[in-house]
Amino acid sequence: MSRLAAVLWIFSAALIAVVLFALKYEVQRLERELQLVTRQTVVDQQAVHVLKAEWSYLNQPARIADLAERHLRLQPLSTAQIVEIEAVPTRPVPGVKPQPPRKLANAERLP
Amino acid sequence: MTRRIPSPRRPRRPLPTGRGPAPVDLMLLDGTTSQALEAGRTRLIAVGLLFCLAFGIIGLRVMDLALLRDGNEPRLAAEAGRKTLVTDRADIVDRNGIVLATSLPTASLYANPRQVRDPEATAAALARVLSDVSPVVLAGKLRSDRSFVWLKRNLSPREHYEVNRLGVPGLDFKREEQRVYPHGALLTHVLGLVDVDNKGIAGLEKRFDAQLRGGTEPLALSVDLRLQHILSEELQGAMTAFEAIGAAGMILDAESGEVLAMSSLPSFDPDQAGRASEEARFNRAALGVYEMGSVFKIFTTALALESGTVTLADGFDASEPIRVARHTIRDFKPKNRWLSVPEIFVYSSNIGTVHMAMETGTEAQQGFLDALGLTTPAAIELPEVGAPMLPSPWREINTMTISFGHGMAVSPVQLTSAVASVVNGGELRPATLLKRPEGAPKGGRRVLSKATSEQMRWLMRQVVLQGTGGKAAAPGYLVGGKTGTADKLRDGRYARGSRIASFVGAFPMHAPRYVIFAMVDEPKGQKKSYGYATGGWVAAPAVGRVVARIGPLVGLKPLPVRTEEEEGEDQDLMVQASAGGFAFAFE
Repeated sequence: MSRLAAVLWIFSAALIAVVLFALKYEVQRLERELQLVTRQTVVDQQAVHVLKAEWSYLNQPARIADLAERHLRLQPLSTAQIVEIEAVPTRPVPGVKPQPPRKLANAERLP
Repeated sequence: MTRRIPSPRRPRRPLPTGRGPAPVDLMLLDGTTSQALEAGRTRLIAVGLLFCLAFGIIGLRVMDLALLRDGNEPRLAAEAGRKTLVTDRADIVDRNGIVLATSLPTASLYANPRQVRDPEATAAALARVLSDVSPVVLAGKLRSDRSFVWLKRNLSPREHYEVNRLGVPGLDFKREEQRVYPHGALLTHVLGLVDVDNKGIAGLEKRFDAQLRGGTEPLALSVDLRLQHILSEELQGAMTAFEAIGAAGMILDAESGEVLAMSSLPSFDPDQAGRASEEARFNRAALGVYEMGSVFKIFTTALALESGTVTLADGFDASEPIRVARHTIRDFKPKNRWLSVPEIFVYSSNIGTVHMAMETGTEAQQGFLDALGLTTPAAIELPEVGAPMLPSPWREINTMTISFGHGMAVSPVQLTSAVASVVNGGELRPATLLKRPEGAPKGGRRVLSKATSEQMRWLMRQVVLQGTGGKAAAPGYLVGGKTGTADKLRDGRYARGSRIASFVGAFPMHAPRYVIFAMVDEPKGQKKSYGYATGGWVAAPAVGRVVARIGPLVGLKPLPVRTEEEEGEDQDLMVQASAGGFAFAFE
């Protein structure tokens, strides 16, 4: 009985030792990995930082305006292009006298 | 009972000491033996308990360490993840988070001349890949008998790569940081500059030096880069068109006092600060103080209306120039008749305005300008802030000239804040360059009643509708404002032909959101302006264009633009707006 107990104890002690060492090496490996990842993160953050500055540089309003003028067939929005939905006349129905668009209060005259 | 034979080596029990070889029975042991046994057992138990306790404590502690207590693991884990990028100086961003100033790593090239084998060849090779260096100077440095010599600071990435590609021994790089302003000259006067050691020496870089060095959180400005660009571009346009020597402008949030754009031209690229002229370094918007001319009539009129000295229905005879001491106050374009208060304002009559100021008095004027912050330097977050120039003593003649903007010089920042308080319902909030957090208390000090502010808005709107500021109109956005033209002081005399042309306006005038100021320094009359170089011809159109461009950009809904056939209703509106028994006199 006592011999069996002793064998069990020795076995469990050995098992624990093995597990402990395995764990220790695993932790070491993970620590190395973490270090690498952290270092890579800082490198990436550095790159993002530089790219942000470059993005801001490339987005200079004057440069964008120049590019838009050269490559897009668009022009700045003018207020004459904005109307209220009520100001749009309804589709004419045959036989019905078309309603004039609603008169707008507070309107400003053209220069 | 078995008889125990005591071991000769280690007697486990005390030897019987009694009489005869009788079998030993515990029960029969005499007192001494029994006592000794008892003592031994007690000690055994005590020691056993002690050990049990010790092992128990160790066991508990092991459990505590392994299971219950997490030790410093989280701290280690957090520390491992917290290794983020640290720069010497925090970024500066605009109100939408666009980077305005940042610190980028650069490589600086140095050499250990003792390890360089062929100085001449190395110098020649380096001169081919580096800009701004001479091979002769490089060779001289490389021949020296030192172990460290700078060859070039802050290399560009391309230069860095090229030098690495040379693969010359004895050369090495040191990582440094360089302040970079991606938007160049656009915001130089606001952002300021840093020196070689990245220490702020001007502008916000100087004002917030400690904060920028200490923190990693970017400094968020109230400035909107898009508005800044539009303002600068239009000012530059006006400057070029009228061959002016400079220009300044501001866009202010009428409610919060946030500076959305602040421009001073000519400007300079912060990367080439050393080459910038004194003229370009000077911040006209905050440091410069100018006699603003007729835009001051806003304050004179507001005070007269606020104090009840005049109403919109009153008027003054403006047919005769006013002669005081050696001075004669005339109108730029005399009407030579009685003028109503709105007419005085709309046609910018100096004579009428002086009459108004004399009615309210010197003390009231001084007090009101004090309240508007025009007599003390602006509280804006820039180290370069100009102190206003005030008359001392403040005589009657000063009251007269100040009423139309002469004899007192203020900075554009002061003027714009003061005008914002006149149009926003009468509350003054100091101009700020920092973004106001969402929902932060507005603060502000009441300087004018809501009713007077309303009247002033109407008057300023009339200036654009039918007065001197007509060219500031932007369809749909109800621009209102006031023009100003002031002759510059030259050697103590007012010089005709060298003047400051300005316009200060707000929009939309029924509920102002933006206050815009534009000032052009020494514009020359042009053929297309019929020789005029006044505020109405130079600065007002610039403001009009700025409004037309930023209106749609900031998502402000324009009022529907009136078509020709609706023109007739205009008159009705006018009478409504001027209700109160007063009818506006038309030309």
